[in-house]
Amino acid sequence: MRGFRHTVTLAGGLVGSGLMSGCTGQQSALIPRGEDAAVQSTLFFVMLVGAVVLWLMLNGLFFYLTRVRPGAVPQRLANGMIIIGGLVVPAVLIGALLAWGLSILPDQQRSGDGLTIRVTGEQWWWRVEYWPEGAEAPIVSANEIRMPVGERVEFALGAKRVIHSFWIPALGGKMDMFPGRDTRVSLKATEPGVYRGQCAEFCGASHAWMAFAAEAMPPADFAAWLDHEASAAVAPSTPDAVAGAEIFAREGCGACHTVRGTDHIGQVGPDLTHVGARHTLGAGRLGATLEDFAAWISHTDELKPEVEMPAYGHLPEEEHRLLAAYLKGLQ
Amino acid sequence: MSEDDRPIPRKVSQADDLAPEGVYPPTEEMLSEPVPADLQKAQADRLRKAWVAPTGIRYVTAVNNSEVGVWYSMTAFAFMLIAGVMALIIRLQLAFPENDLISADRFNQLFTMHGSAMMFLFAVPIFEAIAILILPGFLSARDLPFPRLSAYGYWCFLIGGISVIGSVFVDAGPTAGWFMYPPLATQDEGIGSDIWLLGLSFIEVASIAAAVELIVGTLKCRPPGMRVNIMPLYAWYVLVVGGMILFAFPPLIAGDFLFELERSFDWPFFDPTRGGDPLLWQHLFWIFGHPEVYIVFLPSIAIAAMVVPTVAQRPIVGYSWIVLSAVGTGFLSFGLWVHHMFTTGLPSISLGFFSAASEAVVIPTGIQLFAFLATLMVGRVRVNLPMLWIAGGLAIFTAGGLTGVMLAMAPFDFQAHDSYFVVAHLHYTLFGGMVFPVIAGVYYFFPFARKKLLSERLGRIAFWLIFVGFNVTFLPMHWVGLLGMPRRIYTFPGGLGWDTVNLMSTIASFLIAAGFAVFAWDVIRPKTRQPQIPRNPWGGGTLEWTHDVPEELWGTRSIPYVTSRYPLWDDPKLLERLDSGRYYLPDAETVRRETMVTSVIDAKPLLIQKVTGPSWLPLLAAVFTGGAFIFPTFHVYPPAIASGAVALAIIILWLWRETSWPPEHEMRDAGLGLRLPNYAAGPNSVGWWAMWITMLGDATAFASVVFAFFYYWTSSADFPPVAMPDPDRALVGLAVVGLLLAWAATVSAAWLNARARVTAARAALIVAPVAAAGGAAALVLSVIGLSPSTHVYPAVMCALAIWVVVHAGVGIVMQLYCLAASVAGKMTPRHDADIQNVTLYWHFHLIAVLVTCAVMGLAPGVMR
Amino acid sequence: MKTPQEPRAQEERREFREEAESLFRITFAPVIWAAHFLLCYCTLAVVCAKGGDPDFWRTALVGLTLVALLAITWTGWRAWRQWDAHNTGDYANARGEDEDRHQFLGQAALLLAIISAIGVIYTALPLVLVEGCR
Repeated sequence: MRGFRHTVTLAGGLVGSGLMSGCTGQQSALIPRGEDAAVQSTLFFVMLVGAVVLWLMLNGLFFYLTRVRPGAVPQRLANGMIIIGGLVVPAVLIGALLAWGLSILPDQQRSGDGLTIRVTGEQWWWRVEYWPEGAEAPIVSANEIRMPVGERVEFALGAKRVIHSFWIPALGGKMDMFPGRDTRVSLKATEPGVYRGQCAEFCGASHAWMAFAAEAMPPADFAAWLDHEASAAVAPSTPDAVAGAEIFAREGCGACHTVRGTDHIGQVGPDLTHVGARHTLGAGRLGATLEDFAAWISHTDELKPEVEMPAYGHLPEEEHRLLAAYLKGLQ
Repeated sequence: MSEDDRPIPRKVSQADDLAPEGVYPPTEEMLSEPVPADLQKAQADRLRKAWVAPTGIRYVTAVNNSEVGVWYSMTAFAFMLIAGVMALIIRLQLAFPENDLISADRFNQLFTMHGSAMMFLFAVPIFEAIAILILPGFLSARDLPFPRLSAYGYWCFLIGGISVIGSVFVDAGPTAGWFMYPPLATQDEGIGSDIWLLGLSFIEVASIAAAVELIVGTLKCRPPGMRVNIMPLYAWYVLVVGGMILFAFPPLIAGDFLFELERSFDWPFFDPTRGGDPLLWQHLFWIFGHPEVYIVFLPSIAIAAMVVPTVAQRPIVGYSWIVLSAVGTGFLSFGLWVHHMFTTGLPSISLGFFSAASEAVVIPTGIQLFAFLATLMVGRVRVNLPMLWIAGGLAIFTAGGLTGVMLAMAPFDFQAHDSYFVVAHLHYTLFGGMVFPVIAGVYYFFPFARKKLLSERLGRIAFWLIFVGFNVTFLPMHWVGLLGMPRRIYTFPGGLGWDTVNLMSTIASFLIAAGFAVFAWDVIRPKTRQPQIPRNPWGGGTLEWTHDVPEELWGTRSIPYVTSRYPLWDDPKLLERLDSGRYYLPDAETVRRETMVTSVIDAKPLLIQKVTGPSWLPLLAAVFTGGAFIFPTFHVYPPAIASGAVALAIIILWLWRETSWPPEHEMRDAGLGLRLPNYAAGPNSVGWWAMWITMLGDATAFASVVFAFFYYWTSSADFPPVAMPDPDRALVGLAVVGLLLAWAATVSAAWLNARARVTAARAALIVAPVAAAGGAAALVLSVIGLSPSTHVYPAVMCALAIWVVVHAGVGIVMQLYCLAASVAGKMTPRHDADIQNVTLYWHFHLIAVLVTCAVMGLAPGVMR
Repeated sequence: MKTPQEPRAQEERREFREEAESLFRITFAPVIWAAHFLLCYCTLAVVCAKGGDPDFWRTALVGLTLVALLAITWTGWRAWRQWDAHNTGDYANARGEDEDRHQFLGQAALLLAIISAIGVIYTALPLVLVEGCR
């Protein structure tokens, strides 16, 4: 099995498709690509400089006193140092810092500019619904977030069974997702790009593999994409894909998965209507090449411990290839 | 004349007719009078005989603080090493991206147990262990007031600890992380969560026992003259931390109670589908969890407060500032808990309050550090090995403190929360604030505890290995956390910039391990060839350095009269007088173990307290208490109930045989012309204080359960639910009447007994349990029709009823105990400690009864 | 018990006697901080969960803050008098005597009052800076 792991994981290890590979900053809070992340990263660097200066002063003094061993100073001076160093300076510095922190505290709780995306944490994937302003029914997707640049998007968060946490470090802070309790957070991307989000609250065996791609797009592109996402699936027409569709139906995949426009309307697993167009597979587990699809279908449990989707390793390899062709074709 | 129409006699047991007699404080003349040599020898022989340690297999029956303290420390240290090995396996798994050294499930068991063991089996117990070991030394007390309670606590800790940590070795460990968030933890299918809950509840009980012991020890067992303004800073810290344990642990115990009811009987306290709320657990856990960080930190900084003056060779500067900082931290640390919940979607303004308190707590901590700096400034610094560890700890802790300031800024925490930044931060605070100072304490106090010195050379090697290893392991974790790496992931994909950092951490973690190996070897290596050490190797000024070399088990040859903070520096004659038995209690005429009890503020001598000796009972009681907690893990209840009953019987036997019997002589000679009583009841006795303190903790736990009720009201629009049946109001009212009557009968019994109307008191003690049983039965009947597994509302009602009924049961046992004591002549009008303590219990219980019945009978009507 | 120490003014001895002291007194100021903190948190938690005008309650709690600060100032002032350092010139109170113990407890209470006041002011900052319930 080791051999298998290393082959797929090289592809999957890049966390997604070619778009994302090699970019080490895609999950970094310190390379901000969103309004909130930028404020938070500034806050961090200011505090970092302050912390380094204070650390050096305090430990420098300590080192000086214990190593250089100057002559004893008068008691009065020492008392004064406790008052100044221990009480006055920290009270003022921290008071100022606190006032700054409090003034930006509610920022991520602001309401969005219109679009609401409802994300529900499942074991271990993300159910995603787009609710444009005034929409009556959602546009359903899974395991990927797309949002327009320059617009504050509101995320309505929930969870199915256990607590998860929704976090796209490059755009802003995280927010926990609870079963039976709604939480909200809003994010505003400032630059187009594909970022990586990940569950931040320990949620069981495959917590490590609960991730997603978040793509910030120019507003026009986003609108077009959303229109397409709302449409039903177009059945791929290559012979492989047609054969794959038959296997999909034969194996009962539709009991769990929905492919809109077909009679597969399962609600247990992620919606697959446009799965072929996503950046990643298995909630950020693998990239989205044909090989990745085949690897996922045949080795789910190994790639993602205790995952609910059974592995179809018992099917012949050829059928994995055909299924991959069908799914990748669901653009 | 029948008893009833006699005039009411005056109260027999008044504290002041047992007042000490003679001269206090002693005059210089009395102190300088030499003790004849033959008397000295005879006294020393008797003392030695009274304090002799049991040998052979009976060694485990020892209860003396010097024995139990060493066992406790070594056990906690062993658990720390095991949890450290778990950390190494975790690091190995994370050395490379997509590593498959261990499975996800195994990894989750390991990180859960690493955190749980480090916190519950090492960090808190090592405080108790060290305090039990050295506190009597600081106070020149012969022992702590309740040695058997220490022993019982130790055995509970050992049994509970082994069962918890052992679960990982049989692949049945808990997997939900050391803070066990539901629903993940409640839904867990194995027995891991149960082991965690019951095992740790068991250990929490042991912690509270230790807290009671240490608080009473600090308040009542100081040497004569050691007023609160001159007691060693360590004692101040112990007092503060003991108080914090009393308010911090009970919410978790209450949480565990609700959690286990959900696990065992499916009462949905944390299940959102039936009105429960997983966030409640987070509140209860962190109301415990954040003070706990300071419970761990303060005793360690207390060690630094003892080492620093010795290094500076002068008294601490800013004694009052340090006391302020300890007390202030103790308070403020209870206003921080929500900073662990900044990302749970609470209103920003709520987060703001906790952000503010989290920043405020920095100030007392800073004052503490600056007081140390000031002491070093005015002193003639003589750096020794313990100081090296303190210095390393300071460097690490200040870094951890500064990242703490960052994390308390909620907007930054939104990013850093649950990432490796937090992992780095918490290890910085715990290594710097706890591990390093504790190791410094081991080097510093080793000569006191074991009469040997540890190796200077090995100590330096261990220091540099751990110091360098620690920083290389954990400093980069701040960085990788901000690069987006969440904590508690069993593996990670490559290419996100995390790979090198993780490999580096893994390599360096083995340097830490090597350092601990050197340290552990230094501690356990045989030292028989080492020459006899000097009595005060570091030149300290406090009383622990009056210890005897070679070792004597009596604690102190005589209990000195103290007038300064550093008696060894200020009173050159102290040691000679102490050794010659010039001071108090130089003798053990009856060859029994005794120590002196003094007053709380000024440490005026109050009485001679009998101290219990070796016994099997604490060990047996712990074994059966263990059964009561461990059997339910496997969902077998009859043996659990049987075990609990046996444990209770043993504890009753232990109390009956050893406590509060009328003494042979009311007054005894305590030395230096002072005669002291041998018996005390009420606030002068240590037992009364222990009851008071225990009940304060118990009341906190009860308040947490009541908090749960009101919490559900705020978190849900439909609570109490309109369509749900309520507890039967009439029966709730009847319960109030019954339990109120039981309380009144108990109070009357105490009053009548004190006025020598023994028959009437016994009659009241027969009425009381009957009324209590009736009240408890009515309360059970009032909720019997509810089905607690359908919704959280009936569940919380039943939980409150269980709480009161169990406490009423304990109260009944106490009433019957007093009745038996009265009949057996153990309790007399003059010697009524038992009934006074029981009355105190019932006062607290009455409050719980009234609150519970108000919630059950009235609140639903008002709140709907 | 006889106490063979030099006679002191009756009044002073009464002031310094052990029964007049309580360790609990030094915790007054922090207890005020705790009460203020809990009231602020609980009030707004309930208002935000069950409905109500958060801005009204914020203003009310600012008023409560002023009361708390006054109470702490009063505690601190009493402690300052008890410490009496400006008369005795003794800042360490390190002797094992009634008077030093008395003044030490005053000093500790004063310092705790200062810390508690800072704590209360910090707690009041969100009342001023954070609006609404979001």
